[in-house]
Amino acid sequence: MEQPVQTEMWKAQSLEELIRILHRIFAEDKVSVEEVQELMESYESNPEEWLQYAKFDQYRYTRNLVDNGNGKFNLMILCWGEGHGSSIHDHTDSHCFMKILQGNLKETLFEWPEKKGNGEMTKKSERVLRENQCAYINDSIGLHRVENISHTESAVSLHLYSPPFDSCNTFDQRTGHKHKVKMTFYSQFGERTVC
Amino acid sequence: LPAGLSQWFPALEVLDVSGTGLTELGEELLALPQLHTLLAKNNRLGGPGSLPKGLGQAPLGRSLRVLNLSGNRFAEVPPALLELHGLQSLSLGGNRLHSIPPEIQELRSLEFLYLGGNFITSIPPELANLPFLNYLVLCDNKIQSIPPQLAQLHSLRSLSLHNNLLTYLPREILNLVHLEELSLRGNPLVVRFVRDLTYNPPSLQELAGRTIKTRNVPYAPSDLPENLVRYLSLASNCPNPKCGGVYFDSCVRQIKFVDFCGKYRLPLMHYLCSPECSSPCSSASQSSTSQSESDSEDEASVAARRMQKVLLG
Repeated sequence: MEQPVQTEMWKAQSLEELIRILHRIFAEDKVSVEEVQELMESYESNPEEWLQYAKFDQYRYTRNLVDNGNGKFNLMILCWGEGHGSSIHDHTDSHCFMKILQGNLKETLFEWPEKKGNGEMTKKSERVLRENQCAYINDSIGLHRVENISHTESAVSLHLYSPPFDSCNTFDQRTGHKHKVKMTFYSQFGERTVC
Repeated sequence: LPAGLSQWFPALEVLDVSGTGLTELGEELLALPQLHTLLAKNNRLGGPGSLPKGLGQAPLGRSLRVLNLSGNRFAEVPPALLELHGLQSLSLGGNRLHSIPPEIQELRSLEFLYLGGNFITSIPPELANLPFLNYLVLCDNKIQSIPPQLAQLHSLRSLSLHNNLLTYLPREILNLVHLEELSLRGNPLVVRFVRDLTYNPPSLQELAGRTIKTRNVPYAPSDLPENLVRYLSLASNCPNPKCGGVYFDSCVRQIKFVDFCGKYRLPLMHYLCSPECSSPCSSASQSSTSQSESDSEDEASVAARRMQKVLLG
C-alpha cells in the first residue's frame, strides 16, 4: 500500500526566515498552496520585525512592499486603520495569501457576478480572521472584501501574491459592475513612495 | 492616576492610558501644559465626571490636539469636551452615543472626527461648520439621512457612511469634489433602489387628473366632490425640466448612477412621470437603464439642475 509522500512542513522563526524559505519554495517549478499557507501560519508575528514596514495612512488602508520575491511573488504588509476596508476585488489569476499580524480582519466572500447580471452581488460567507491566521483565495474560489471592523484597534496583515500583479478589478456590490484599478504601494522596502 | 502627575512629568506630551479600566480622567491631568495626545481607549469612561471640571480653561485644554476615547461607555458627547477649541483629532468610536450635539461646531480646529460604531440616528447640520474637517467617520450607526449642509465641508477628503439606515442621498453631496474616499455599502438606500424599479401603471383617476392639469381644463370647487378637488391640488410636476407633465401617486423611480469624483457611481433617485419620460425627454419609448448608463458621464455636470432630493417611504 502506497503511503502519501509526507512533505516537510516548514516553521519560520522570524520574518527574515519566512522570506528566505519563501524564496526557496518559489524557486521550484511546482509550489504547493498548502505548504505556503502552513509556512505563513507558522510564523508567529513579532512586531519588532515588521514595524518598519507598517506605515499607516489616516484615510485608507496602505500597501507596503516588503519583498519582491525575484519576480515570483510579492510580499507586502497592509495597514488598516479603524473602520478601513477594501472594495470587493479579484486577484487577476494569482494566488493570494493573507496572514494577520496584528488585530483582526473580516473577510467577506462573494460569488462572481453573472455576465449579464445587473443585481446585488451574492455573499457566500464571512469570517473574522484572528492574529497569526492565514487565509487563501484565488479567482476560482471567488471574490472578497477585507475590512477592519474594529472602531478601537488598527490591524496589520501580511500578504503574498504569486505571480505578482499591479492591477485588479473592483466590483460594485449593488450591481456587480466591475472597474479595473491600478494598485500602488504606499511604501517599498520600508521607504515611503511618493506618488 | 496619581495626583502628582503634572509635577513629576511636566513635559509629558503623549499619554496612553488605554485598557486600564479607568472610570474617570481626573484633575491630575489638567496641569500638563505640553500634553497634546491623550489616548484613553477601552476604559470605563462615560459617566458624569468622566472628564475633569474646568478642562477648557486648564493648560491641558489648550494643549490637547488628539483625544481618543473610543471603546468606552459615553452615551452623550461630554460637554467638557466641547471646550477643547484646539483639538484636531477626536475619536469616540465604539461608544453608546445616540446623537451628535450641535455644539460640536465649537471644536473649530477639528480635522479628524471618528464616530463609527455608535447608535447615532441623525447628523446635526452644525457639523458642517467645522472648516478644517477632512476625515469624517460615521459608519456602523443608525443614521437615516444626511443633511444637505454637509456639502459645505469643502475640505472633506474621506467620508465613511457604510452600515447605516440611509434611504436617500441629497443631491448636494455631488458638491464634495475633494472627496477621495466614500463608503456607502450596507445602507437600505442601495437595496431599495434595486428593488423598487417596478412601475405601477397609473389609475384611471390619475390619468384623468393628469389630463385636467396638463390641458388646463378649468374647474371650480363646486364642480367636483371635495376629495377630488383636494386630489387635483396635489399634482406634482415631473422633475424632468424638458417635460411639462404632472403626476399624482404613480411615478417612475428612476435610478441614475452618477459618476462622482471619477471613482464612484452613486445612485441618486428622482421621480419621473412615466417610463417614457427620460432625459432628453422624447416620445419614443426607450429602455430606461441603458439610456441612463450612457448619460452618466454627462450626469455630474447637469446633476445639480436635474437631480432632486427624494424621500423614500
